[in-house]
Amino acid sequence: MVDDEAIVRESIKDWLEDAGYQVATAETGEEALELIGKRDFGFMILDIRLPGKTGIEVLKEVKAQRPWIKSVIVTAYPSAETTAEAARLGAIDYLIKPVVPDGLEKLIRETIESAGREPTVTTVEVRPKPPVKAPEIKRSVVITREGLKTLVEGLAEDMEVVGVKSRNGKYDYDKITAFAELSLNYDVSVTPPTRYLLPPLETLFKFKLGAALELKPAADTTRRAIIGVHPSDIKAMEMLDEAFMATNPDPNYHARRQNTVIIGVDCLNPSPKSFAPSMGTHLAETGFDLLLTDIGDDRYVVNVGSAKGDELLEKHTKVREPTGDEIARQKAVRDEAFYKYRLSLNVPRERLPKLLDDSYDSPYWESRSATCLSCGSCVMVCPTCFCFNVQDEVALNLKDGERLRHRDGCTLIDFARVASGENFRHDKASRFRHRIYRKGKYILERYGRIGCVGCGRCATACLADIASPLEAFNALAESARIQEAARRVISEIQPRTELYTPRPAELVRVRELTAREKVFEFRFKDGSALGQLPGQFVEVSVMGVGEAPISISTSPTRGKSFQLAVRNVGDVTNALHKLQAGAVVGIRGPFGNGFPIQALEGRDVLLIAGGIGLFPLRSLLQFILDRRDSFKRVILLYGSRSPAERLFPEELADLSQRRDIEFHETVDKGDATWQGNVGVITTLIPKVNIDPKKTIAIAVGPPIMYRFVIGELKKRDLADDNVIVSLERRMKCGVGKCGHCQINGVYVCQEGPVFTLTQLRKMREAV
Amino acid sequence: MKPKVAFFDFSGCEGCQLDALNLDAGDVVDLLNAVDIVNFREVMTERADDYDIAFIEGSVTRESEIARLQKIRSQAKVLVALGACASIGGVNCLKNHLPMEEALRIVYGDKAGYYDTIPARPANAVVAVDYYVRGCPPVTGELVKVVKALLLGKKPEIPNFPVCVECKMAGNICVFERGKTCLGPVIRAGCSAICVTSGRHCWGCRGLVDEPNVDSEKDILQKYGLTVAQVVEKFKIYNTYGDVAK
Repeated sequence: MVDDEAIVRESIKDWLEDAGYQVATAETGEEALELIGKRDFGFMILDIRLPGKTGIEVLKEVKAQRPWIKSVIVTAYPSAETTAEAARLGAIDYLIKPVVPDGLEKLIRETIESAGREPTVTTVEVRPKPPVKAPEIKRSVVITREGLKTLVEGLAEDMEVVGVKSRNGKYDYDKITAFAELSLNYDVSVTPPTRYLLPPLETLFKFKLGAALELKPAADTTRRAIIGVHPSDIKAMEMLDEAFMATNPDPNYHARRQNTVIIGVDCLNPSPKSFAPSMGTHLAETGFDLLLTDIGDDRYVVNVGSAKGDELLEKHTKVREPTGDEIARQKAVRDEAFYKYRLSLNVPRERLPKLLDDSYDSPYWESRSATCLSCGSCVMVCPTCFCFNVQDEVALNLKDGERLRHRDGCTLIDFARVASGENFRHDKASRFRHRIYRKGKYILERYGRIGCVGCGRCATACLADIASPLEAFNALAESARIQEAARRVISEIQPRTELYTPRPAELVRVRELTAREKVFEFRFKDGSALGQLPGQFVEVSVMGVGEAPISISTSPTRGKSFQLAVRNVGDVTNALHKLQAGAVVGIRGPFGNGFPIQALEGRDVLLIAGGIGLFPLRSLLQFILDRRDSFKRVILLYGSRSPAERLFPEELADLSQRRDIEFHETVDKGDATWQGNVGVITTLIPKVNIDPKKTIAIAVGPPIMYRFVIGELKKRDLADDNVIVSLERRMKCGVGKCGHCQINGVYVCQEGPVFTLTQLRKMREAV
Repeated sequence: MKPKVAFFDFSGCEGCQLDALNLDAGDVVDLLNAVDIVNFREVMTERADDYDIAFIEGSVTRESEIARLQKIRSQAKVLVALGACASIGGVNCLKNHLPMEEALRIVYGDKAGYYDTIPARPANAVVAVDYYVRGCPPVTGELVKVVKALLLGKKPEIPNFPVCVECKMAGNICVFERGKTCLGPVIRAGCSAICVTSGRHCWGCRGLVDEPNVDSEKDILQKYGLTVAQVVEKFKIYNTYGDVAK
């Protein structure tokens, strides 16, 4: 709670503490940032007008350092600019004083629930930062594009010039022969520029075989300028400097480093896989001779980082002092770029070593590395990976030889194998873990610099999609939080008294569908909405008779009342069938996961309903029709046992008229009135033309149907992830406790009832 | 005393032998200074049965070849499989999916009765193999590397990492990123990713690495759009011997 007005600060603190939260207060932005640096907060309430740093400035720093903290702005002086700025910085709401405390409490509660995260107030040990070498020189100038061209051409006369070039729609470093080849506004290079300091293959020394061993060092002293290095790669180079020059200085690395000029450029269009801000590497203060920022209109602000950088400007080109406007513009384009990063670390990076320490025996390593190919792509594209192997190569004359070093990496099978055959890191899981430990812990502890600069190259290169350290760190952090939450559940959490208590709902109308099925429309007595997702279910109580799980047949887009279509098969459903409009039942829920709406958006959707499988699918169908533009082709296949058992015949007639849905129907057994298809539902599948790469199929029907429908879909080459079913089980409690609905280790009421075929294949009891 | 080197061709196109000594003239002179080549049908007519290092090219596809290979093994100090057919069975093993009579009929028609054939197999299915020079064909000069290693008294270094390593070292854009598919992630390197570097993809001619994660590679191929049948076909070209043998 950050506010300079004591009365506001203290009253909200008291209110929230009464509601069960742990609250810390700060009077100024500086004080708040200091607190945030020491402790872990889940939520921040922030005043805009503060003495010293403004609320917006605080918000910006929090977004960079602790992006997972949810913030809400409170102010007595609202303005359009600060609202927009706060929203851009990720503030979840903007409240105008005076604030109603219970409204604020509700907002906090809902935000935390939606993030699946209880407020955690754990003291964090912040590691002392490694001493950062001050830049040799620190000043800014402005260069025009023409001036830059003159600089590059001048450099080319003195030394080899390498830079980023466009190649087949990607970018990579290569020798530059003309200024026009150079790309300065690129997302990420395929290979990192660190290969000019540590090439994939190099000669350490040459030798002659014979009685007298003759050795000749072979360091590369080519003078070279690397142009267009992103700050994250500059940080990687600084890490390599620590590894190769601080102790046991490496002559080959040292020779290259001494002869290399580094001209960086701010990354203004980051790769979607990059998370540089989370690793603190999206900007660089040191580690370059010159650093360019493209401020538009063919102008660059140049940060001079070394005396050598200064000399090069002096010798080759003309620069001028920047105007105040140009300095402001540099800051603005950097901010603009900062907002473009989409991925972030969900744990303070200072805490990564501790997190990894606690996660050594996590099941994550084994499960996530199962698909690892041990192909080494992750380590080969990494700017901070530097491990190598050494081999001798001798000429055919058997006299002249050289000792070569080439890139090697810890995810390769033989990396830790010795001549006797013993392999000290023999399984995929231990190699996978080792790499992540290097990225988050070992390198940081050994060299004082983070081992992952968040460039995202490994995430792009990894075909199995498991290499991103960010994913590992976040998964481990989440798992640690769940464990923490589980401990809290036992010690602190108050039971939810309403867990098993249904809410009263009134039967608005009832309609007979067939001899066995009726559809019931309910509305909650308190006027609230059910808030269901298509595919979820509720527990319906008829007091005195009991409770039964029933799928929801209407979409949340169709108003506050909701329909349950019910076949009369047991005690509760029999009692339901006897009810008249005006009767009151009890409802718990909605429960379950529902259909994956986001995965369906932008795809072709194939819906397959067998019999009363149409009941849950109807909610999805309505949802899709109400948001028709979000989906591509929509195909519905529906099979009934007989014409008399067709459900919602008038809605089916309407569907067959619509042009935005392809509808095919069949009955198992026809009669005199029936003129359509006859045959089981699977006979419809070969009749529709689908693109297996674009289509997601969702089948709902009796258990017997799934085996055959899945078989037909696999003949059409649908991937397992794109085949979705909804399973029926005995869902008694709906809250993952009673155990009745369990399939192997899975609780259908929690993780289901909707599953992909990929998930289903791991559940041997399922189909 | 220079070691004596002999080359023997079994069933194959003989391209490996042809390519093996496609060296610069200077290198040929150096090689001949280092070893005596005593048996090499592609380049000389003399034959000798006294040799130290035997290079075996081609796979074994006839009954008579079994005894011939066993005899070579008993005479050679070091036996090296040269090329994909000798190392992993190679394309010859595609016929193993058919009944042998049908394979004979397809190739020789009404003359099939004059020939005999057995399911194709690599050299190590018949005799112990000391070293392998892999590929279809092996990279020129690779054979010389093996000879040099043996002369220096060390084991020839055969990479046990996949093509991806050399492909990344070459700075290539991944074949999958170009929207195509590739066997590189599970195939043994040593070729400097020559096919990918030339704009194509890896066909698998050097065989699988030790402990390949074939299941994961198959999932990835499907994820990138291949059908199950296409995945099987992709592996079949060079790497079908193990499947058929099972």
